[in-house]
Amino acid sequence: MTKQDIADLRASLPPGTLLTGEAQLAAYSYDGASRRGRPEAVALPRGADEVRRVVAFCADRRIPYVARGAGTNLSGGSVASRGGVLLSLARLDRILSVDTAALCAVVEPGVVNLKLQEELARTGHYYAPDPSSFRVSTIGGNIAENAGGPRCLKYGVTTDHVLALEAVMPDGELVRFSVEDAGPEVMSLLVGSEGTLGVVTKAWLRILPQPAAVRTVLAGFPSVEAAVSCVSAIIAAGVVPRALEALDRATVATVEAYRKAGYPGTEAVLLIEMDGTPESAAREAAAVERLAREYGASEVRSAEAVADRERLWEGRRGAYAACARLAPNVLVEDGVVPRDRLPEAVRRIREISARHGIQPALLFHAGDGNIHPNISYDERDPAQCARVKAAGQEMLRACVELGGSLSGEHGVGTEKREAMRWLHSSRVLRLFRDIKGSFDPEGSANPGKILPDEGGEAGGGPVRPARPLSAQAALLAGKVKACAAEGRPMAVVGSGSRSPAAPPGCAELLTTGMNSVLDWDKGNYTVTVEAGVSVRSLRAELASQGFHLRWPDLGGTLGGVLASKAWPGLREDLLGMRLILADGEVADLGGKVVKNVAGYDAARLVLGSWGTLGVIVDATLRLHSSAVELPAAGEPKAFCAGPWQRRVKQAFDLKNLLNPWFHA
Amino acid sequence: MGNLLHRLITDLGERSDYDAASQCCRCGYCEQACPTYVVTGDETRSARGRNQLVRLLIEGRLSDPASAEDALHTCLLCGACTAACYARVATADIVLEGRRKLTETPHRLARLLTRLLAEHRGLLMLLLKAANLAKRLGLTALARPALRLIGLPGLALAEEHVREAPLVFLEEVLRRRPAVKDPRWSYFAPCGPNFLYPRVGLATVAVLESLRGPGVFMDNGCCGLLAYNYGELDDARAMARRVIERFEASGSRGPVVGDCSSCTAFLKSYPQLFLSEPDWKVRAERFAAAVRDVPEVLADAPLPELAGLPAFTYHDSCRACHGQGLQTAAHAAARRLAGSAYRELPESDMCCGGAGAYAFRNPALSDDLIQRKAGRIAASGARLVAASGTSCLIQLAQGLKKYYPECEVVHLSELAARALAQGAKDGTPAGA
Repeated sequence: MTKQDIADLRASLPPGTLLTGEAQLAAYSYDGASRRGRPEAVALPRGADEVRRVVAFCADRRIPYVARGAGTNLSGGSVASRGGVLLSLARLDRILSVDTAALCAVVEPGVVNLKLQEELARTGHYYAPDPSSFRVSTIGGNIAENAGGPRCLKYGVTTDHVLALEAVMPDGELVRFSVEDAGPEVMSLLVGSEGTLGVVTKAWLRILPQPAAVRTVLAGFPSVEAAVSCVSAIIAAGVVPRALEALDRATVATVEAYRKAGYPGTEAVLLIEMDGTPESAAREAAAVERLAREYGASEVRSAEAVADRERLWEGRRGAYAACARLAPNVLVEDGVVPRDRLPEAVRRIREISARHGIQPALLFHAGDGNIHPNISYDERDPAQCARVKAAGQEMLRACVELGGSLSGEHGVGTEKREAMRWLHSSRVLRLFRDIKGSFDPEGSANPGKILPDEGGEAGGGPVRPARPLSAQAALLAGKVKACAAEGRPMAVVGSGSRSPAAPPGCAELLTTGMNSVLDWDKGNYTVTVEAGVSVRSLRAELASQGFHLRWPDLGGTLGGVLASKAWPGLREDLLGMRLILADGEVADLGGKVVKNVAGYDAARLVLGSWGTLGVIVDATLRLHSSAVELPAAGEPKAFCAGPWQRRVKQAFDLKNLLNPWFHA
Repeated sequence: MGNLLHRLITDLGERSDYDAASQCCRCGYCEQACPTYVVTGDETRSARGRNQLVRLLIEGRLSDPASAEDALHTCLLCGACTAACYARVATADIVLEGRRKLTETPHRLARLLTRLLAEHRGLLMLLLKAANLAKRLGLTALARPALRLIGLPGLALAEEHVREAPLVFLEEVLRRRPAVKDPRWSYFAPCGPNFLYPRVGLATVAVLESLRGPGVFMDNGCCGLLAYNYGELDDARAMARRVIERFEASGSRGPVVGDCSSCTAFLKSYPQLFLSEPDWKVRAERFAAAVRDVPEVLADAPLPELAGLPAFTYHDSCRACHGQGLQTAAHAAARRLAGSAYRELPESDMCCGGAGAYAFRNPALSDDLIQRKAGRIAASGARLVAASGTSCLIQLAQGLKKYYPECEVVHLSELAARALAQGAKDGTPAGA
């Protein structure tokens, strides 16, 4: 930034809003991760209009800007790694309304998660996402990272609790997006986009009534395998705990040395928390205790009163604290694997640690396969630093190899940018870059985050072999490729259950024949199904073995249901999707894990896209061990593309070849 | 080696100031504990920011060190961040090291006051009495513009802030007490009660006599906190040595009780001043182990409930709750004294903005804090609030007058003394 830039920006803001002293810039040069980068100015706006002015100014002059809440990010996402303006949202900290009848709270992005919880508690409500940083981290930051937390096993991650967002988009416009918008859903894309696609200035959040009762069970297991088997058994028994946390023996030893929590010295300790009515919580706690013993737990304790439960949590809560006292710094790594691969992930992580001479404390959100190796080190020791970082990256790679992802809840930021190549094909990375480029052509919104730079494939491509395409899908991809080469428009008809007949001149793309269940992972509670499968017959097949989709009754094929967003709640159980893109290339989005924040949430974007973004080949869904009755869904609506949906379309299908009439 | 401690006693053991600052891993969990961050939303004015800046200063990586001045001088030294930190990073001590690095010559007023306190106490008392007399006659108000004119707006503000103007100081009263043969406690008179609030010190002494029997007045000088925070470390050390010698000469084997939490917390930290003087370190440790703050004395004392108390709440003085971990003790005593008149105070452990000379150096920030505090007190419905530090008494008295005049402030000792006197009148002996 030139002196003139700074003077102009200062003149456009109220006094006291722009900081430029050296110490002030230094105090904004870090977040909770290890890399630093000094901004050239820090803006502390108080309202959306001031945010808009900063963004428009930066876009106009192609100056980078980085939005930031409390700066507790663990992946370097809120550091000004390329200079420019650090846009702090800490002063937008008002809770605007709490509507307990509609179960909705409207907040500004700088509201601290705990402050919202305190406000909601006054009326007996709460907001489900509870990242460990909840005492200080902001709702805006939670949204940017799609934060999780122990409670998300039962209640879902941040994106599942956002109803609408108001954001300053990279062109400086203030836009509102809602989960109810027809068509490709931009709101879900913004959640977890780490400030690279827009800056949230207001959020409508789903709130929940507090449960009447909570019970906590603590159990020590002779092995990590036994503990994970017990976790699977608990979920198979129809119990969905609100938290299912695990610690390994090294972690327990570290905690006990710091603060005697009285945890058993077994190989693994599980902390399981149930909520609901007093009866259901008691019944589930009893079932969990029985299962724990059945799976070899030597010591099982249970608590109901708040103070007693708090005592059981003491060791889990003290784990990070204990690590933070061993050395100046702690690398909290964040990998995720399908739940039943956790024991293998632990073996691999221990092997990697031994090779690098480090002793991580392992903490897991065991219910959703999220593992946090906590590695204490001193950043002032370059050799130690290099070892710790190398080990951390190898751990992530192992998680990807095991069918998981690079990040369950901390985001990619700068720390995992290069590792993105292990998870995503170069075509998917290009798709992400196209989305970014389409939304932010100036490249000013938090540049250098999430996406690895183009080229530089030295780190190797994906470490997990791509799933082979079925013969039918391969044929379809070939057809799309041929049409794309000719520039011929295509009509994505699917099985024709919802789409109208193709207009003349369009090639028809049919998914008939693509009707197999590709992978039914009963341990992990996921199923991967081809697009042409009838939803009703799929449900019948799943239900025959005690697996359920928590959807209302929906007719037609899976592809049709997803492409038309036949029910808004579909987004909650959609974990992954394979798509034939407009150029005939295949993109594998998401995966088999319930928490995944490595890259843009492009799979959810396809919901309601009516074939305009790609042809759905198959989808991976989360399964449940019990069914729920849901009211029938209304008729799905076609959509009339808004400006940001047009930008999405441009990223996916620049030439408007797929179902072109939507964007005519 | 200049005016620096270089080594600190931290929760993780003795560390260099550099290691102590580097122990901050930037997790940010202290942010919401830091009052100046909470009211400004500015990382520069957060505990994490300050630790990072001191670290950069030590590493010599700030080309414009003076740009860190605002960050370091806006720290309240309240210690709330340390209490919230897993590694208990000692931000207040680290910030002070940073300030000392930045400021070659200590503040001239602080220096003058320190010299007066240490070497010319009689002269100081004479000056103060003259000033107090002038204040009573309404003359000092006239002097305020002159003070501002000669570049001492802080002093003018201080004059305006302080509402007390005693003409007899506490030490003069206590020196007249008859000698005691086997003292069970000794009373340390902090400067606040001594020069501003003799009634607080008299209350503390009455409470101690009632609860513990006969004791002695240490006839101590200043604890040295003023010099430690704003002046020269060597002055602070000299004052500490004198206090320790007084203690050793007092012959009391019981506790040393003081009634300003900032001072008692500092007395307990004396060993840190003598890390390179092993003999004095041992003596300082022995002394520090004997020091007790008022909340500690009252925590499980048999206190009767005060009759006819208006709605009452308790404000935690920072150096009691964060500095000495006495929140539970203080609340237990306050609850017992107030009974059904007790009201919870949200954010009771958040600094009121008094913080020594802070209110005079950073009037705007200090006012934000007292306004917030007065609002919380008003919301609790309390008509009476107690605390255990002198700065809090001054700040609350002036802030409540401005923002919530329906409420008064007293020291915890005053309430306890009243309750014990009332109990004695009712015939309920202490201890019953």
